[in-house]
Amino acid sequence: MLAERKSLVIGEAEAAEMIRDGMTIAIGGFINSSHPMALVRQIIRRGIKNLTLVGAASGGLDLDLLIAAGCVRKLVTTYMGGEHYCPVAPFFRVAAQRGELEIFECDEGMFYCAMRAAAQGLPSTPWKAGIGTSFPEINSEIKVYNDPISGEPVLAIPAITPELAIIYAAHSDAYGNVQHVGTGFGDRAMWRAAKKTIAQVERVLPNEEIRKDPRATSLYGVDAVVRAPYGSHPFAGPGYYIEDGAHIREYVAAGNAYAKTGDRNPFEDYLRKYVRDPKTHEDYLEVIGIRRLISLHEY
Amino acid sequence: MSSADYTTKELLATFISHQVRDGERVAVGAGLHVPRAGILLAHLLRCPNVRLYVTMTFTNLTKEPRMEPFYTVYDIRPAKWAEAYVLHDDFQEDPRLVSDTFVVGALQIDKFGNSNLIGVGKDYKHLTFRGPGAVGTLSMAHYVDRYYLFVQSHDKRIFVDKCDFISTVGWGEGGPAGRQKLGIPGKGPVYCITPLCVMDFEEKSKRMRLKSVHPGVTVQQVIDNTGFDLTVPSDVPQTVGPTEEELRTLRERIDVEGMLRR
Repeated sequence: MLAERKSLVIGEAEAAEMIRDGMTIAIGGFINSSHPMALVRQIIRRGIKNLTLVGAASGGLDLDLLIAAGCVRKLVTTYMGGEHYCPVAPFFRVAAQRGELEIFECDEGMFYCAMRAAAQGLPSTPWKAGIGTSFPEINSEIKVYNDPISGEPVLAIPAITPELAIIYAAHSDAYGNVQHVGTGFGDRAMWRAAKKTIAQVERVLPNEEIRKDPRATSLYGVDAVVRAPYGSHPFAGPGYYIEDGAHIREYVAAGNAYAKTGDRNPFEDYLRKYVRDPKTHEDYLEVIGIRRLISLHEY
Repeated sequence: MSSADYTTKELLATFISHQVRDGERVAVGAGLHVPRAGILLAHLLRCPNVRLYVTMTFTNLTKEPRMEPFYTVYDIRPAKWAEAYVLHDDFQEDPRLVSDTFVVGALQIDKFGNSNLIGVGKDYKHLTFRGPGAVGTLSMAHYVDRYYLFVQSHDKRIFVDKCDFISTVGWGEGGPAGRQKLGIPGKGPVYCITPLCVMDFEEKSKRMRLKSVHPGVTVQQVIDNTGFDLTVPSDVPQTVGPTEEELRTLRERIDVEGMLRR
C-alpha cells in the first residue's frame, strides 16, 4: 500500500482551538483587505484573552474589533485606522489614551525588521530610519547602538516571533500550498516569522490547479487550511469581492459612539448581531445576506 | 470652463503635480485624494515616464482615457493596470526601488518640519489624542530623495513650536546640516502644503518660511493660524492656479467623481 499525503483542511472550530489565552498571534492582510475574519470572530466567541497581536504591518479594524471585545493585551503594528472610513480606529484610540493597551510603537520598515529577525533566528536586525525620532524613547524594546563597522548609530529592532500566524488568501490546495490573488501584502513576512500558520481561504483547489502555476504559490507550506467563502467580509477578498463599505461604516459608527460619549450599547448590539449570535461562519453569512454579499463584486 | 472657478483642492493638486519629475519613481498614496490627483496630473500631462506605484503595483497610465475610482491603498481593482506587483515586505528589502518622493501627513508639524503621527499629549502612556501611527512614513521619508508635508487643515494645533513626539524627521534641530548630523540621507521636506498656503524652509536656519498664499488668503491669516514664528518674506506671491488644460485633465480624466470639487 502506498503512503498517502495527508489533507491539512480543518474546520473553523478546530482552528480556533489552536489559539489560547496569552499567545502571540500574527494576523495577515492590510487595512481594509484580506483579514481572516471567520477565525477572528471565533477568537471573540471563545473569549480568548491577553493576546499579543502582531500586524498586519498596517493594521485595521480587524484588530480594533479584537481590542473592543477584550481579547488584546499588546499590539504590534504601525497604523490603526480604516483610511477614508475612519482616520483612527475608535477602540484602539480609547484603550491607548487610557494606557490600557501595551503598544510596540514602530513603522513599517521596523515592523518587517522584527519579522525578518524572527524568521532568521536573530535576536534583532538593524534599521537606519528612526534615528532622531521619538521611537527609541517611547518603545523601550528598540535600542540605539553604534554599528561596529562604520560607527554610525542604528536602531536594533528585536525579533518578534508569532506562535501562530492566521492568514487570509484566495486559494490553497488541501496540502497547504497557498496562492494569493494580488500581492499578498506582507503576509509572507508574517508566515516566515511565525512558528505555525493557518491559512483561511475562499476556495480549496485541487492540487493539479496549484501545479498549473507554481510561481503563484505565495506560501509554500502552511500547517492548516480553513475553507471560509466570503471569509474576509466585511473587508475585501482580492479576486472575489471588495470591502463592504456600509458594514464598515456601521462598525465605525458604533465605535465612535463609544469613543465620543462612552456609550457601549451600539457596539454591544453590533457584537451580538454579527459575532456572538451567529455560531459559525455560515451563520454569519446568513446574517449579512446573499444580496449584500453578491453586490460586493470587483468590476 | 473658466480656470478662475477651481477649488482649493484643485489648486493644491496642481501645485503637487509641478513637483513630480519625469522618469522618477513616485508612490501614489491612494487615501489622500489631493496628492493622488496631483501625481496623476503630472503623469498624464508632463511625466509619461514616471514609474507609478499605485495600490501595491507599478504601472503607467498614460494610455488610460480616464481613471476609474480607487481611493484606498489596498484596492485590488487598479491591479488590472499592473506591470509589476510590489510585495509590501519588499519595502524593507529595497526601499529605494519603491519611490523617489513621498507625501507625509501629520497631526503636528514643528518649525523645522519634524512631524508627528503618533499622538498629542505630554505623557505617551496617557495621550490626550492618540493618532493612527507612523505607517511607513519615517522609513519612506528616510530613503526617498525628497518629500512633501501635506495637511488638510491649517491651525495652531497642527503647527506647533515643538512636536509632542517626532515620527518623521524634517530638519531635526535645524540648520543645513540638521539631517546630516543625524545620519539621515535625502533632501528632506521640500514644501509644506496646507489649505491656506505653501511653505518652504529658509536655507540657513531650515526654519519654515511662507512661500505663497492661496487666492483669498492673507499673510496675516496664515500667521494667526501658525503656532510658531513663521519666517515671512517681504514679498509673498499668490499660489499659481491650474491652467485650463490642467483643470480639464483633472476633471475629465482623473477626478471624474468630483472628490476635489466637494
